[in-house]
Amino acid sequence: MATIEVQRQILPILANPNQGARFYNPELPQSEPFVPGHRTCAGCGPSIQYRMTSKASGDNTILVGPTGCMYVANSSYLCTPYNVPWAHTQIGSAGSFTAGVAAAYEALIRKGKWKGQYPNIICEAGDGSASDIGLASISGALYRNHDCLIICYDNEQYANTGIQASSRTPYGGMTTFSPPGPEVPEGKKLFPKDLARMMAAGHPHCYVATASVGYPIDLMNKVRKGLNHKGAAYLMVYTPCQKGFVYETPRSIDLGRMVVECGLYPMWEWTPEKRAFDYSFRPASIRPVSEYLKLQGRFGHLHAEHIANLQKFANEQWRMVGVELPEALIKAADPKNQINMAAAAEAEVVAETV
Amino acid sequence: MPTVLEKKKTVRINGCVASAQAAKYADVDVIAAYPIRPYTATMMALAQMVANGELDAEYIVADSEHSQLSIAHGAASSGARVFTGSSGVGVQFAYELYSPISGSRMPVQMMIADRTLDPPGDFGSEHTDALSTRDMGWLMGWACDAQEAFDNHLMAYRIGEDPRVLLPQMVCQDGFFVSHITGDVELPDPTQVKEFLPPYKHPYPLDPRHPVSHGPQIMPEQGPPLQLERARAMEGSMAVIEEVHKEFGEIFGRKYDPWVEEFMTDDAEVVFFLQGAHAVTARFAIQHMREKGLKVGMARLRTIRPYPTDRVCEVLSKFKVVGVIETNMALGSPASGGALYADACAALYEAKERPLVISFMAGMGGEAIVLKEFYWMAEKMMQALKRGKIEKRTHWVGFEE
Amino acid sequence: MSTKGTKIPDWLTVPFAGITPAPSQDKGQNLFPTGNWRAIRPVYRDKLPPCNNACGTNEKIQGYLDLVKRGKYLDAYALIKEDMPFPSVTGRVCYHPCEQACNRGKYDEAISIRAVERFLGDLGQALTNDVVKPGKPNGKKVAVVGSGPAGHSAAYQLARLGYKVTILEKSPKAGGLNRGGIPDWVLPQNVLDREIERLVQLGIEIKTNCEVGKDVSWDDLKKNYDACVLAVGLTEPNSIRAEGENKADVLYGLPFLRDIGMGTSKVKIGARVAVIGGGNTAIDCAREALRQGALEVTMITVESHPEEMPCVAEDLHDMLEEGVELIHGRAVTSILGNGKVESLQLHPARFSGAVNASPINIDRTAKPESFVVDNVIIAVGQHASLAWLPQEFKNERGTVKMDRFGRLGDTNFFAAGDIAQFGSGQPLMVVNAVGDGKRVAFNLDKALRGEALQPRTIAIDVIMDLNRMNMTYFPHFPRVHQALLNPITRKKTQDEVIQGFSEEQAIEEANRCFSCGTCNACDNCYLVCPEPCIARPARSNGLYKILVDYCKGCRVCIEECPTGCLEGVPELDFDTGVVRMDTAFAITPGLHGRQAQELVNLSTRPAKDI
Repeated sequence: MATIEVQRQILPILANPNQGARFYNPELPQSEPFVPGHRTCAGCGPSIQYRMTSKASGDNTILVGPTGCMYVANSSYLCTPYNVPWAHTQIGSAGSFTAGVAAAYEALIRKGKWKGQYPNIICEAGDGSASDIGLASISGALYRNHDCLIICYDNEQYANTGIQASSRTPYGGMTTFSPPGPEVPEGKKLFPKDLARMMAAGHPHCYVATASVGYPIDLMNKVRKGLNHKGAAYLMVYTPCQKGFVYETPRSIDLGRMVVECGLYPMWEWTPEKRAFDYSFRPASIRPVSEYLKLQGRFGHLHAEHIANLQKFANEQWRMVGVELPEALIKAADPKNQINMAAAAEAEVVAETV
Repeated sequence: MPTVLEKKKTVRINGCVASAQAAKYADVDVIAAYPIRPYTATMMALAQMVANGELDAEYIVADSEHSQLSIAHGAASSGARVFTGSSGVGVQFAYELYSPISGSRMPVQMMIADRTLDPPGDFGSEHTDALSTRDMGWLMGWACDAQEAFDNHLMAYRIGEDPRVLLPQMVCQDGFFVSHITGDVELPDPTQVKEFLPPYKHPYPLDPRHPVSHGPQIMPEQGPPLQLERARAMEGSMAVIEEVHKEFGEIFGRKYDPWVEEFMTDDAEVVFFLQGAHAVTARFAIQHMREKGLKVGMARLRTIRPYPTDRVCEVLSKFKVVGVIETNMALGSPASGGALYADACAALYEAKERPLVISFMAGMGGEAIVLKEFYWMAEKMMQALKRGKIEKRTHWVGFEE
Repeated sequence: MSTKGTKIPDWLTVPFAGITPAPSQDKGQNLFPTGNWRAIRPVYRDKLPPCNNACGTNEKIQGYLDLVKRGKYLDAYALIKEDMPFPSVTGRVCYHPCEQACNRGKYDEAISIRAVERFLGDLGQALTNDVVKPGKPNGKKVAVVGSGPAGHSAAYQLARLGYKVTILEKSPKAGGLNRGGIPDWVLPQNVLDREIERLVQLGIEIKTNCEVGKDVSWDDLKKNYDACVLAVGLTEPNSIRAEGENKADVLYGLPFLRDIGMGTSKVKIGARVAVIGGGNTAIDCAREALRQGALEVTMITVESHPEEMPCVAEDLHDMLEEGVELIHGRAVTSILGNGKVESLQLHPARFSGAVNASPINIDRTAKPESFVVDNVIIAVGQHASLAWLPQEFKNERGTVKMDRFGRLGDTNFFAAGDIAQFGSGQPLMVVNAVGDGKRVAFNLDKALRGEALQPRTIAIDVIMDLNRMNMTYFPHFPRVHQALLNPITRKKTQDEVIQGFSEEQAIEEANRCFSCGTCNACDNCYLVCPEPCIARPARSNGLYKILVDYCKGCRVCIEECPTGCLEGVPELDFDTGVVRMDTAFAITPGLHGRQAQELVNLSTRPAKDI
């Protein structure tokens, strides 16, 4: 059978704006695949992520939106902020619908039924879809290596249903399904699923990375690397949720940095060619978790021992990425050296010892 | 009609392979497979065709039926002709997707070889799997043999992809009785298919050059107009179905009644009303009974969605007694038996002369309905005819005197 | 047929299967103007960077550093030239108050602004034709008396305004303090010559050897010119009131330097030299003395510590490196010697802080120390020589009597530079004189056109504070240092001690600039906006636009603005551009019907360029 070779796009990697002494973002494309007028909350983290991702991918892009905030709030009332093709799919179908789109374009281009470069096919699944109900469908898409990018915009909860715990909700995170009470003072008792590592370990031929809205260019470059990778790619992006985390809206990007600096969201890349994790990302500074926690109402109920538990968890992650722990962080993992979140001002004293 | 049909040939294949052949002739772009007996054989055949280079399609082994259907949804949304299928509980695992697919008006085609639902694992054919999804906005009908299955697939693509319709289709066949029993199937010349089935073109696919958003959220008040549109498409498909069956007959030489096949009904007083493979046995039983002078006939429903209410009314009201053979289970339903009874009765309600209607729970669990059972059912109908009233609404065949 | 006879009313018409056509890129999707969720509106409002504020002539420092970052050197040079006629000179001699004020100094090290200025100044020197052109002639003539920094600046600005300017200079060469007060190894004469040339190219006439009160009279000036700028500077050295100060070979700082600069010096410097004073001129004299052949140079100051000395710290450092010794807390009470200077008598002393009495407290009861020298150079400031000035324009302390604009009475005579600023609290530095010359030129222009004059100080908006900026975006980065000649060899020559920046160094240093309070088109707000409702037609400073129909007021852009030029203003302060809707969820009537029609027309539309 005569077939047409599929031409794929290669997007250039952006320069790091902080490489030199000044801050100046690299020249970004003019096109806006994501436009205003949607109904996400003010300061919405996933929306920031959507803006950056679509900016990085450009106009020859198809977006898939499983049920979640970016479907419910963005496309409400028969409107759309997407200036590229976008399709809703069921919350459990993130990977499979995307696979269908990818397969269709492979076939249509090969059979001469659609002419043009293979589009960037991006699935934007919330953490509920990606870590719970749609896990298998995403794993299937990664395993089958469709040329697509699956992004988990991780706001650590089911947000549009009214803040419920997902398997990405951190230990101690208050949600309507994990409320604190006298018997369960910490709220959520379970530690989150290490979703991205699971994806890297289980699909070693895929490009897998974690990113955060706190590092926009890094995020955009990871999007581009994922798209340039011939085959499936997976990205887990920290996207704070103002409504669920209960913080002041201007801090959205700041939290994105803070969570990395506190070791609660290690940034890494899985390089499929080398079959290895790249742990070289280092934030500008390392902080105790209390600095991150105290900015958010969802952690307001935590006791000293819970904060220490989270610090222990963070310390383990720091060790994982090969960071030598400062003495203060090891101390902070002992409940004796912690104070309740209620005394946030005093917590700051602990923070400054790092 | 083309005059030279060099590549037309007759082969001896089973229903599953016939379906696979139909997909090949339709030049599908994306195939979503997941194994479950008995429809698996269709996907096996397609896998081999792709491996042999006979068919250029993306063959995807999905991770579940839910994924199968959403792969099909995604591919159809992007402008590809897709083929998928399932059986039994697999059909139900994908349940969530049926309404979204028909609601987004994507002409996905799904082949179903029926299988009894659990519990426990029973390989036999029972129509409950597909029938449980019958109100989800999919075109649906049963074939009774491999040739009809092949033909139905081609016609379903043509109907479902018609811009006046744009609805998904379930092309059903009985597990084992059709899917695994070989018969002669005439495979057409590709030029015939080309003439009959134009390439698939959705008016608003996911195309970066003409960006659109599929399936945004709506306000409650926007629900009714969208539902009404979907209902219009389902009803409007009836004219298209008739048109396509006519054209199919002209091109391929096989003429089907799109709605109800009548067998020996000219002077019949009692008829079996059924769908699917048991019609084959029914034909033999009727011939035997006719030899004994019983005025028995058969009306076989070929399309159940859209339901040909007027036609069913017109056909069935000619008779005195109608025996609905269910081969499906609708627990606690009006007849406390199967689902076909209620539809038939509803169709007959407006008739001037209403026949007596009896529901027979036969062929359950995939058991064959043997000749003896057809005679028994005919006997029950004859008794009702004589008495002028039914003994009870539903009989469990094989469990009663 | 249940659907027979059904009709969907117009207001409920929706597109096929709810498939929605994409919105337009420019306007956003027009269903929900979410702007009415907002309580606080982000507004781009450039603040004054502290460097611009601190600069004596308010150079747009952040502006030209930003241009250097992008390699737009000529534009940067042109921008400096708006306020500063000779960046090549100030790039060498300025005491850079901008660097002291620099916010980066509180973070790691201040930007080397002077070095970048010099880089640009030298670039300007190399141009065949300067970027600055004279203004359209307005037919009016102005005399500028004195060609020092203030006179130079005033003449330059007046020429740009279209005046016919004549500079009257009493020395044989133009340049004033730039020539006479600054040694060659700080400011080579050819650099200054080139800047003087630029004045001539602007059509300015320079009359040298023309002293007011001697060669021209007050009345001549009044008669021959429409206006006059008096920028004669402080030419007369102050005395230390020591016994024996009247010895013929006692040297004074400025005349000492001036004679060397003009090439008319006849002084032979001995092996041991004492310099009296702790200011910049004293430092220049001490270092010049080394270059004139002195072997041991000692600086005697009343200040009790180097940090108290009123001088530029780097120059002090360079001087010490060259081997000059310091003696603190001493005043010279007597200059001894038989007809010529042989030794000094020192007494302990300190500054009294007195305003009206002698500012120096000398402890004459202490045992005097003797200090043997071959030469002594006294550099303790200077004062003006105003014999030529009509009495009515002098006040009781012998300084010029003028209003706050520098205007003498209701005449068109203006005083500028040191004679005007002396005693005003302004530092008597080159850049301050340049700034004064500039402001006087503008006021003179206003006076001649009958407009209201502007006060000396510019209206200060908000000076950007480091705390209002987002330091996350600025990694620590060391200052790029200028190369210096070796102190052992340089002190014997007139070679320029401090070396200029290379292009790479200039860019690297300019890159360290925070652009405090000023939009520098970094694109950060544009990138982090969740809507995104920050529009950018072209990437250019201050050209971002907030689409107020959509902005929800989350203030992420304000928080993440690295330079702090974005600020939040309560929505109630605005009466324009406010989205007014009945509810937050109101939809444009008929929109879905239009969408339906748009969708039908989709295939006939031109394909989007991908």
